[in-house]
Amino acid sequence: MTWLKLVEGYMPMQMISELAGSILVFALVNWALNRAGMGIPKFWAGIGVWIYIQLYLKYRIYPPIPFSVRAIYGTVSGCGIFMWVSGSEGEWQEFKRPILNVMDGISGFHKGLRTAALIVIPLALGGFAYNSFLPSFEEPIELRTVHPAPPATTKVHGKTFVLQVVENPYRVNNDGKYDQAYTDARIVEQSMGRLMKDVNDPNYNPWDPNAEGYTKYVREGGEIFFQNCHFCHGDNLNGRGLWAYAFNPIPANFTDAGTIAQLQETFVFWRVSKGGIGLPGEGFPWASVMPPWEQHLTVDEIWKVVMFEYWHTGYYPRTWD
Amino acid sequence: MSKSRYGINVARWGVCLGFSVLLGLGLPLSSMAQEDLPEGFKQQGLPAPLPAEQIEAGKRVYFTKCVWCHGVEGAGDGPGAVRLWPRPRNFNAGTFKIRHTASGQLPLIDLDLLQTVTHGLPGSAMPSWEGILTEQQRKDVLAFVTSQLVQDRSWQDEEFEEFFVLDLEGLPPKPGTPESIKRGSELVVEKKCIECHGLEGRGDGNAFNLKDDWGFSIQPADWHKCWNFRGSRQDPYNVKNIFRTFSTGLNGTPMPSFADNTSVDERWDIANYVNSLCEREQEIKAPQGTVTDETALTFSTSQPLGIDPLTDKPKSNFVVPSKFVEGDLPTDENDERWNLIPRRWIAMGGQITHKPRNFVNRIDDMWVRALYNETHIEFMFRWDDRTKSIQEDEVDWDPTEVNLEDYGVEEQAPQGTTFEEDPFHQESIAAKQKDGYAVYNDGVAFQFPIKWQELPAPRKPRYFWGDERFAADITKWTADGTLGVYEGTGWDEDFTEVDFQEEVEVVKAEWANGQWTVIVKRPLKGDYDEVAYLEQGKYIPMVFFAWDGHNGDVGRKMAVSAFYYLVMEPPIPMTTYLYPGLITVGIVIIEGWVLGRRANKRKKTQGQA
Repeated sequence: MTWLKLVEGYMPMQMISELAGSILVFALVNWALNRAGMGIPKFWAGIGVWIYIQLYLKYRIYPPIPFSVRAIYGTVSGCGIFMWVSGSEGEWQEFKRPILNVMDGISGFHKGLRTAALIVIPLALGGFAYNSFLPSFEEPIELRTVHPAPPATTKVHGKTFVLQVVENPYRVNNDGKYDQAYTDARIVEQSMGRLMKDVNDPNYNPWDPNAEGYTKYVREGGEIFFQNCHFCHGDNLNGRGLWAYAFNPIPANFTDAGTIAQLQETFVFWRVSKGGIGLPGEGFPWASVMPPWEQHLTVDEIWKVVMFEYWHTGYYPRTWD
Repeated sequence: MSKSRYGINVARWGVCLGFSVLLGLGLPLSSMAQEDLPEGFKQQGLPAPLPAEQIEAGKRVYFTKCVWCHGVEGAGDGPGAVRLWPRPRNFNAGTFKIRHTASGQLPLIDLDLLQTVTHGLPGSAMPSWEGILTEQQRKDVLAFVTSQLVQDRSWQDEEFEEFFVLDLEGLPPKPGTPESIKRGSELVVEKKCIECHGLEGRGDGNAFNLKDDWGFSIQPADWHKCWNFRGSRQDPYNVKNIFRTFSTGLNGTPMPSFADNTSVDERWDIANYVNSLCEREQEIKAPQGTVTDETALTFSTSQPLGIDPLTDKPKSNFVVPSKFVEGDLPTDENDERWNLIPRRWIAMGGQITHKPRNFVNRIDDMWVRALYNETHIEFMFRWDDRTKSIQEDEVDWDPTEVNLEDYGVEEQAPQGTTFEEDPFHQESIAAKQKDGYAVYNDGVAFQFPIKWQELPAPRKPRYFWGDERFAADITKWTADGTLGVYEGTGWDEDFTEVDFQEEVEVVKAEWANGQWTVIVKRPLKGDYDEVAYLEQGKYIPMVFFAWDGHNGDVGRKMAVSAFYYLVMEPPIPMTTYLYPGLITVGIVIIEGWVLGRRANKRKKTQGQA
């Protein structure tokens, strides 16, 4: 379905507006048909809308949502539709009419329908029961804590870092002082594409030959990223790297507002240094392929690559207060 | 309708008008060009230069997103290049692989290059930029690349450039009928496709000696993995993509254009055959590339694999099912009973957690099936590997050793971005072969947790050969014939041999036409404390590993999967049939009761009336 892509990050809003929009279209069509004197009975309209919602949930949403969740949505939307069809006594009578007609077998056609229903309903429910009794082996759902609580201190290359107080030594202004406001002004823009602010200004373009200080360190961090990290985290830092498809848990998407954007820089430093194997139990250290980067990179390199990740995604690290 | 005089007139007028428009634009329409035009191509004029503002806007995109791999000058030498295979494109010469234009010509910017940026190049590190960059940003960056970084040629060079464009829209695809597929299978022999791509199309025909224009080792495409075709445009089973590549060739590579020596009709047949080889739900074998009528029919009717739109690879399922069979387990891959169970696609990535890391991973997936009887379980592994690798010299180390640094097996530091700087780069199979580089054994392995029954869910031993607290049971086969069962207690801890070696068996291990088939049998049970005790109906965590000896894979340099679950499906219990039957009967009774009540009520109301 390439005609209308679900955009990551906007997906819930997109879904709700698509559903609401289509319901609105249904209402308009229904209203127009009624005006034209060709109104659809509420019985069929209700069933139609309910089936539409089910099909939408089943085929439109990707990755697919499990049956149990669809069943919940199905029940809720069923209740809503039921309230609509039984809004007044007259409407309720009108809704019941086709069902009662079949039960009573008021004509040959209805009788045939009744016989068919008498056979189909037990068979369908029996088949459904058979399917649910049939032993099935779905993938087990294992919930993992993506950002577990960090330790108070971490020891990397023989040096102990107190995560509450340590600062990124490369996040500095022209005077060489730690300065988050200064560096935050130089990250990429938070608009579509997340591009650097000015390609011709050495303050903003890490590749400018005259870039120095923070901006130069960003380039050095990027060089490390594109030799080590992009295989999983992707060229756009969105967790869609070359081998992301092979791993579970999937690599973190740094462009998502739920990862580095809501973490302190020192937390990221700890996670990068210690990798998957350094996670506490709730983070599934046995399954993560994230390397403990202290085995491959120096402390300085880790700080630079962390800073690059913030620069490239256009996010500020969260502060402690 | 063109039979009517009126219709013919309109058509003529259209042609005349078209010609006069072309002539009016002053395009070179020499009779030479007309003759050169291969079948299915149309000539097109040179594009207008792109505005300076667009180039400037594109520069901003380039230096944010692209420079990291493609480099400041666009020479494909950014910092990312040193560990990539295939290498990032060097734009300078204007050589681009995926095009609608004839061999050797520049690509169409607004079609070919835009599609490349939009859909990425699967099987390489080039991602899809759709949804990340707006369409305008993608066009801007192409304006910058084509005008500033392509230095040796120009899209506006009237003297040297012309564009013969494959008229893909005007050529309706030939349906992939059994006849077309069969003819295609004969044509790939006639046209010598199999010399590089191999008899069964796994890219194993000439795996050693091919180089691209820059001297880098390059390998023929594996037709069984269409989702890795660079030109698959996120639509891998679309035969048009293959037709296009076959018609225009891949500039800068040994893949030529076949436009001059094949008719359009023949090209569709070949494209249909190549497309049919791409893996399907059903495993279809055409041994030695021989397609019988029956095979052709199966090819033409089988379902493509579901492709996951988030990864553009086949969809994963982490449960590896295994079915019970009576009697002895199969002795080869042709046993019908393998079809009792679906084969599972195991996605594999390079091991890059611990040194030596495998940045150039050549085994990116594997197919697994499993069957079991009262006493044993049997796994059939099949994976594509262009080279059969068996270490010639005796292995210096013991099979239980995992730290091979002492034997010179070390991670290679990035050397440089040109072939001259780094001829022995890990990607360079050609160099390895020529210069007697170490070739190790191909291999496959899988691990279970030992005493998994006692693990508090979801705890597992680490995917990488277990850990201190929880040991892993590792079964490993290497192409020199060694099969062993080991206990692993960590990524850097030597294996411990387990007293189980006599019990496991290689039922079959064969490399043919670019594919390994390895069947391994092991008992379900052994010493509870030393080996995994496999039980029915449980989720048993499992990890897969694979080595390509010609890629220098050995020890920790390997391909690895995520956690999968082996499930030995138990026979269906009686209750599965009993309860639904009872429910059906119950519903019939309820129906009778409801209808009876309704009839009574009606009778009463009518009576009252």
